[in-house]
Amino acid sequence: MNKIQLIDTLPNVFLNRTDIVSDIWNQRVEFEKEKVYLVEANSGTGKSSLCSYIYGYRHDYQGQILFDGEDIRKYSVTRWTDIRKHHFSLLWQELRMFPELTAWENVDIKNKLTGHQTKEQILTWFEMLGISDKLNAKMGRISFGQQQRVALIRALCQPFDFLFVDEPISHLDDANSAIMGEIMVEEARKQGAGIIATSIGKHIELAYDHVFNL
Amino acid sequence: MNLVWKLLRQHISIPQFVGFFFANLVGVVIILLGVQFYQDYKALDNEDSFMKADYLIVNKKIGALAGLTGAQNTFSTDDIDELKAEPFVEHIGAFTPSSYNVRAKFNVEGFVSFSTEMFFESVPDDFVDVESDAWNYKEGSSDIPIILPKNYLDLYNFGYAQGKGLPKLSEGILGAMKLQIQIDGNGQHGDFDGRIVGFSSRLNTILVPEQFMRWANQQYASGNAAKEPTRLIVEVSNPTDDRITSFLQDHDYETDEDKLDASKTTFILRVIVSIVMVVGVVISILSFYILMLSVFLLVQKNSTKLENLLLIGYSPAKVSFPYQALTVGLNVLVLILAVVIMLMVRGVYLEMFENFFPDLEVPGIGQALLVGVMLLVIVSIFNIIAVRNKVMSIWKRKE
Repeated sequence: MNKIQLIDTLPNVFLNRTDIVSDIWNQRVEFEKEKVYLVEANSGTGKSSLCSYIYGYRHDYQGQILFDGEDIRKYSVTRWTDIRKHHFSLLWQELRMFPELTAWENVDIKNKLTGHQTKEQILTWFEMLGISDKLNAKMGRISFGQQQRVALIRALCQPFDFLFVDEPISHLDDANSAIMGEIMVEEARKQGAGIIATSIGKHIELAYDHVFNL
Repeated sequence: MNLVWKLLRQHISIPQFVGFFFANLVGVVIILLGVQFYQDYKALDNEDSFMKADYLIVNKKIGALAGLTGAQNTFSTDDIDELKAEPFVEHIGAFTPSSYNVRAKFNVEGFVSFSTEMFFESVPDDFVDVESDAWNYKEGSSDIPIILPKNYLDLYNFGYAQGKGLPKLSEGILGAMKLQIQIDGNGQHGDFDGRIVGFSSRLNTILVPEQFMRWANQQYASGNAAKEPTRLIVEVSNPTDDRITSFLQDHDYETDEDKLDASKTTFILRVIVSIVMVVGVVISILSFYILMLSVFLLVQKNSTKLENLLLIGYSPAKVSFPYQALTVGLNVLVLILAVVIMLMVRGVYLEMFENFFPDLEVPGIGQALLVGVMLLVIVSIFNIIAVRNKVMSIWKRKE
C-alpha cells in the first residue's frame, strides 16, 4: 500500500452543514508513504470518524476513500484482516487495550499474531518509555499515560505502510512525548512507512511534511 | 491462542453450561437408548432374517367337508383382487407351487445319506430379504438357491439324529453342503445342485427364487396351465389393525396368529420407542437452545473484547474459534458420556434378556453410535455457524 486518497469524503452527519471549512472533508487529499502528516482538529470535527473510515470499521461517509486507487468499500473481510495485520497500524485515541490482561500480554497478543518484533525489542521499548516496572501490571490498574505508551508499543508490533496515531501524547509529559516520537520515526523509517498524527492542541513534535486543518 | 482464550473465557457462566450439559446428556442418552433398545429387541423378536416382520401368510381354511367334496382351497383372481383392495394391504404376492416332481438327495459319504420326495414354492423376490446376489437363478444354470423351513432342521437334529445316534447339523454346516436335486416332468429329467442359503422359521415351505420357478414350470410342467395359488403373502401397513382379523374371519381365511401377535407387539413397541425418541429429540433441541442462548450472552458480554481483537488484526475465524471449540468440545463430551451411560443401561437389560434367551446373539452398537455421531455433527455445524454469524455481526456493527 503506497497511497491513501480521500476524494470528496464527508461524514454523513455533516451532510446538512454548509459551514464546513476543512483541509480534509470535501477535498481531494493524498497521504503517501515515507511522509509525516499532522491533522489538527477541534473537538467535534470528525477526527475519530476519519480514523474509523480509513481503518475500515465505519462506512457512514459520502465520497470515496482509496488505497492505491482502489475503493475500500469493496474490501472483503479477509482483505481488511490482512491490512490490519500487515499494512496499517492504528493507535486509537481510546487505546482499545484489554484491561484484564497485563501490559506485556496486551503487547504480546498482537505480536503473537504477527510475529513481527523480538521480545528484546519490546522490552527495550518498555525500558525507553520508562514503564518496564509495569510489565506485569494489569492494564486496568495503570494510568492512562502509561497505557498510552503500552498502546504505542503494541501498534509497532506489526509491519505497516502507514502508522496512524490519534492524539498519541494527550496524557504524556514532553520528555516521554519526545521519546515516543523518536521510536515512531525510527520504526517508520525502517519500513519506509508514512505517519499520520492527529491532535487537538498539544501535538507530538515531528518533522511534518504537511499539516492539515480538519 | 492462549491469550485470546484468557480474554474470551471471561464471563463464561459455569451454571449455564452445566445446565446445558445435563439437559443435552439426558436427551442424547434417551435417543441412543431408544435406537439401541429397538435393535436389541429386534434381535429377540426376529430370528428369521429372510422375512420382514410385517408379512402375513394367508391361506383358506380346510374344513372337514372340503376335503371330501373337493372344494377349492385355492385363491382365485377375484379373491386376490378383493384382498388387494383392502386398505390395510400394502403389497400382496402369491405362492407359486411347482407343477413337477422334485426329489432331493443329501449325501455325505459314510456320514449321512437320505433322499426324499419334495416340492418347491416361490414368492415374489421382493418379499425375500436375502442379498440379491445369493437369491438369484440364471436360466440353464444347475445351481438353485433354496430356503428351508427351520422345522426341518429341528426335526432332523432333535428327532431323527437323536434317535439314530447321528451327528447334529448346524445351519452353517448345511449351508456349505449341496443337495442333489432331480426334477422330472413333461417327459424330461434335470439334475441340479441345491444351495441352502438359509432356514426360515416363518415360512413352512421350501422356497426357491421366482425366476427358477417360472423357468422350471415352463420346462417341466406337464401340460395344464399355471395353478391357482393356495397361499398368499401379504404385507400389511399396521398389523394391529382390527380390520385384518375381521376380514380373515369373514372370508374363512387363516393366518399364523402367533405371528400376527408378534407383529402387533413389535409394532406397538416401535410406536413407543418412536415416542420416547421424539421426547429425547425435543430435550436435545431445548438444550441446544440453552447452549446457543448462553453462547450469545457470552458473546454479548465480551463484545468489546471481540471487537478490539478484530480491530487489532485477528480474523473473525480466529476470534470465533474458542467459542466454537468450547461448544463442539461440550457436544463431544456429552456424546462420550451418553454412550457410556447407554452401555451401562444396556448391560442391565441385556442381563434380563439373557435369562429368557440364553443363546441370544445381540447386535452391535453400531447404529446407535452412528445416530449419536450424526447428531453430534449436525448440532456442531449449527453451533459453528451460529457463533461465526454472531462474531460477524460484531464485525459489521460499526456500519
